[in-house]
Amino acid sequence: MSDTVKQDYAVIGKSVPKIDGREKVTGAARYTADLKFPNMLYGKILTSPFAHARIISIDTSEAEKIPGVRAVITHKDAPTLKYGISPARWDENIFCIDTVKFVGDKVAAVACIDEQTCYKALAAIKVEYEELPAVLDPLRATEEDQPQIHPEFVRNINAEIHQDFGDVEAAFKEAHYVRTDTFVGNRTYQTPIEPHTATSMWDGEKLTVYSSTQSPHYFQYYIAREFGLPMGDVRVLKTYVGGGFGGKLEPTGLEFGGAILAKITGRPVKMFYDRAEMFAHNRGRHRQYMTITSGVDKDGKILGVHADFVMDGGAYTSLGIATAYYAGAMLTLTYEFDNFRFDMLRVYTNLPACGAQRGHGAPQPRYAFEAHLDNIAKDLGIDPMDIRILNARRPNTTTPNEFLVNSCEMKACLEKAREMSGWDEKKGKLPKGRGIGVATGSFVSGAGYPIYRTDLPHAAAMIKVGEDGTSATLYTGATDIGQGSDTVLCQMAAEAMGYTYEQMKIVAADTETTPHDFGAYASRQTLMSGAAVKQAGEEVKTQMLETAAEMLDFPTVDLDIRSGKVFSPGNESVTLTFEEVARHFFVNRGPLVGKGSYTPPKLGGKFKGAAVGTSPAYSFAAQVSEVEIDEETGEVNVLDVWDVHDCGTVINPALLEAQVHGALFMGLGESIWEEVKFDDKGRIANPNLSEYRIPTAMDMPVVHSALVDSYEPAGPWGVKEVGEGATLPTMGCFRNAIFDAMGVSINSLPLGFEKVWRAMKEQREEGAAE
Amino acid sequence: METIDDTRKTTAGPKPKRYVIDLTVNGDPRTVVVKGNALLVNVLRDELDLTGTKKGCELGDCGSCTVLLDGTPVDACLVLALEADGSEIVTIEGVAAHGELDRLQAAFVDKAAVQCGYCTPGMILSPKALLAGNPHPTEPEIRAAIAGNLCRCTGYVNIVRAIAAAAEVEAVVEQGGEAR
Amino acid sequence: MFLPDFDYHAPETLAEACDLLRDLGPSAKILAGGTDLLIKMKHGLVTPRAVISLKALDELKTITHVPGRGVVIGARATHNDLVNSPVLHEHFLSVSEAAHKMANNQIRNRGTVGGNLVNAIPSADLPPILIALDAWITLVGSNTSRTVPLHTFFTGPSCCVIDPVDEILTEIVLPDQPTTGSTYLKFGLRRSGALSVTGVAAAVTMDGDTIVDSRICLGAVFPVPVRAHDAEDVLRGKTWSDELLAEAGEAASCCALPITDIRGTAEYRLDLVRVLTKRALKRAITEGHV
Repeated sequence: MSDTVKQDYAVIGKSVPKIDGREKVTGAARYTADLKFPNMLYGKILTSPFAHARIISIDTSEAEKIPGVRAVITHKDAPTLKYGISPARWDENIFCIDTVKFVGDKVAAVACIDEQTCYKALAAIKVEYEELPAVLDPLRATEEDQPQIHPEFVRNINAEIHQDFGDVEAAFKEAHYVRTDTFVGNRTYQTPIEPHTATSMWDGEKLTVYSSTQSPHYFQYYIAREFGLPMGDVRVLKTYVGGGFGGKLEPTGLEFGGAILAKITGRPVKMFYDRAEMFAHNRGRHRQYMTITSGVDKDGKILGVHADFVMDGGAYTSLGIATAYYAGAMLTLTYEFDNFRFDMLRVYTNLPACGAQRGHGAPQPRYAFEAHLDNIAKDLGIDPMDIRILNARRPNTTTPNEFLVNSCEMKACLEKAREMSGWDEKKGKLPKGRGIGVATGSFVSGAGYPIYRTDLPHAAAMIKVGEDGTSATLYTGATDIGQGSDTVLCQMAAEAMGYTYEQMKIVAADTETTPHDFGAYASRQTLMSGAAVKQAGEEVKTQMLETAAEMLDFPTVDLDIRSGKVFSPGNESVTLTFEEVARHFFVNRGPLVGKGSYTPPKLGGKFKGAAVGTSPAYSFAAQVSEVEIDEETGEVNVLDVWDVHDCGTVINPALLEAQVHGALFMGLGESIWEEVKFDDKGRIANPNLSEYRIPTAMDMPVVHSALVDSYEPAGPWGVKEVGEGATLPTMGCFRNAIFDAMGVSINSLPLGFEKVWRAMKEQREEGAAE
Repeated sequence: METIDDTRKTTAGPKPKRYVIDLTVNGDPRTVVVKGNALLVNVLRDELDLTGTKKGCELGDCGSCTVLLDGTPVDACLVLALEADGSEIVTIEGVAAHGELDRLQAAFVDKAAVQCGYCTPGMILSPKALLAGNPHPTEPEIRAAIAGNLCRCTGYVNIVRAIAAAAEVEAVVEQGGEAR
Repeated sequence: MFLPDFDYHAPETLAEACDLLRDLGPSAKILAGGTDLLIKMKHGLVTPRAVISLKALDELKTITHVPGRGVVIGARATHNDLVNSPVLHEHFLSVSEAAHKMANNQIRNRGTVGGNLVNAIPSADLPPILIALDAWITLVGSNTSRTVPLHTFFTGPSCCVIDPVDEILTEIVLPDQPTTGSTYLKFGLRRSGALSVTGVAAAVTMDGDTIVDSRICLGAVFPVPVRAHDAEDVLRGKTWSDELLAEAGEAASCCALPITDIRGTAEYRLDLVRVLTKRALKRAITEGHV
């Protein structure tokens, strides 16, 4: 491990308070829905009541007559270019033209003087449909008798992936033991507490969109494309964002429809989803059907793995092609094995489209694999902790799918989790009804390739020092959606400049005023945006030192700046303040500006899909959980969770720990409580927060989090990701704890109370029959 | 409560009645004219420009619109403005007196209990009411008091820590990395 | 979401409220806490032309013990008024505890006991414990006043015997009684803000270890809260034991006719009735009114 870990930093490594903390606790922080513009209208989207239907006609005449209705639009008023994540799978229109493909598909939109009028107008639009048979079962979607959803995607196959590394068949032949298990995931939803909102307005031919977005740049790119505008004439910016978790990564009908309505009416239009509409728009976690076969030697060393998956994509691609690749790609990270085969079918159904949710495609396969590994350990009589430590990935290794892993403290994470949780005192020794489980996870620190095909750098930053040096402003396209990137990036800027955090200001996530950055997804900002910020800060520092050297008539190389003080190590008589030097610079040379950008190195192999899962660096985590099961009701009482993370150098310990809590919380919800359910017409049965149950404060276990020492050479100051990694181990960890407590394997998510009850009942009945 | 009778007919039928109501919001006397169907959350946000009160679910499940109505936490999305006539309302904007953060607000910042911040106004007002009647609650009491405020970012860990710190009580979650 | 337009009335007296209700007819709705009514209106399930708020009727908010009559709970008392009532803590803590299991704190601060009963949702948390404690209610009309035993009040999901165009529920009375213990156990899928999958209330009258009498009421497993008479018969006059309570649990399952919905299957609910019944009985027997 590099000794840079032990460096004494002035700003990073400290739990400074969030830069926006005060605004958020006083209610001053404005979110998109809080913005008002003169003459603003309100807009809503009319959606399909059917899972699959042909649109015969749309009559908007009655709606248009209602006083206060300013515009009613359908596909006839909208560009017909399809959109999606990649050209091969652009499959979604702004408004449906011939058919609607899920309950909630976009049909028309209105702009009115107030919200109440919007609902009246929506009710007055007459749409005649011819209902068509719908594909509701993903496992049957490819069968001959099933309706075709998109004509150009035969048998409803959205994507088919076959990847083969090493020789899996040979590994299975050689293996001491080969086992196959099948697991099923759950459809879950990101459920940010802030509903999606977008307010659009035109100034001549220039469009400005305020949106609750994770990536202003990606929105700008697709909005410009749809309307045939130069990127420079589309400005997308966010104010504060009330959580995203992947659900606010792609533009919606709110931005596209809002832009059209604003153009037609010549007025700003605020578009918004209510909670049920958010569920209908969805783009949440795909449900995956996962069969995994592994061969191990007599010690439990993994020799080869075959993952054979199907995922329900819903009606459109959304971001789902990446999800499909991620599902297999991330399975190779936490344990070392040479032979791996991955088969995946992403199918279309007449259900809401799925997209990227925290951990992207990886958490469900990780659940399946960790459960599968516990089954193998049990069959071979090996302690689940031991089998993981035996197989744990080591630093400076390459996965079978050609991901380079630099720093990796997987083994140390497991060992620390073992110690903290009291694993050895508990495993096999807890009273009946109590159990302990372990699982691992690993995630990218930013995707190795851009979200759409482009040669732009992944991140860029600019720092402008104020003319009197009493403040400096960081301009970054990085997008703080609550995770705290504004704070962390300001810490990094101050560290690199030799400045103080308290004097930093930030302007972020505005395509017009800030340099390009891809935004908040794939846990990329600390490493990638951070690298650009560090470079910008260093450029400021270099100019500062040159100026100070001039002022002092002293060699530049003998000067340094730290916490706003210019000094010479070993010569106490030399002192200047940052302010003095910065002011001198401005007077003599004009604005003091530093800039930086970041492009990852060329990563990955040459096979189809090799790009997905590449990253400059990977985080690693181990989790242990302890549960108590009510043997009569199946109620799962989660007692404690221990998370040990290898996330490189820590910039802000308090915010980092908070990311672990949040990621773990989301994983916990998906483990036991959360599932989007449908009725037999493809309608969501629980589009609300009473029946879609995210855990409350009363449901949370005691959370213990810890770190292991780690330094990542590919990251600025040695950083890597944390925001999503802690979601990965959680589901498998709980499944394994329940397995330990009751000896029952719950092979589908969520691990709900009734499922546990039923499994225990079947176990008793089998016991009685024997 | 005074009613404005407006008997003019419009093409859409008789106009709904208007009512004049008096509220005390964060200590300020406010008079508002509303229709019967006006919800308190919309009057606060749209009429009085107090947008710190958020809308998250509009059905009383998430607690983003929590305000104190005569000292009691309620979901402003399920209270008619008319029902609040004559009442005292405290929104998040009224918690920091003269720009000084109160101890809950300061603790939320200090304990990194704020992430996206959308639940934060409600998440501060609920314990504000709790601590007014129970200055040193137990951890289960804290958790019960905020169980109607959903947060998607924090897992409530630092929120419970912050409330416990403001109440000067110890929370189990303070044990952090230590095994129990 | 929005509420359709309506006229708002806040009568100063109960008589005035009753007269208004009669005069405005079926297009009027009574508003107590609003936590059910406003949600139904937002969903467009009811669209009243007029809303009659009971806001001004403070006399309907009190919780008192009237010797010879019992504990009288005003219909406008909120769930948290029940949770915090010293009178209930003294006489029937189990009712306070049951009220605390409903929804979440903000909803408990608005939702009223009267509204909870008239709304008549099969999974409601208060009816089972109130029925187990043999509660009766008062319904007041413009020219009438009648008392109804709560166990005969409910007629189906969202249906009860109240005359919606004339009557207002004004009070719930828990009569003075010889019961020695009572409790309500709720099984929800989350610890807060979850409707009951199954709820079971039990009240017992003990003489030493002998069960003199008991009342068991099941929630969320029948179109209305239902007494488990078969289980009560199993217990009457017997010395209690875990085996006996288990037998009562089995018998209680026979009194339930649950449906399968998104919260649970009928099969699961039946088994929960069995488990919760024996647990509720044991708690009521050994711990009193809790």
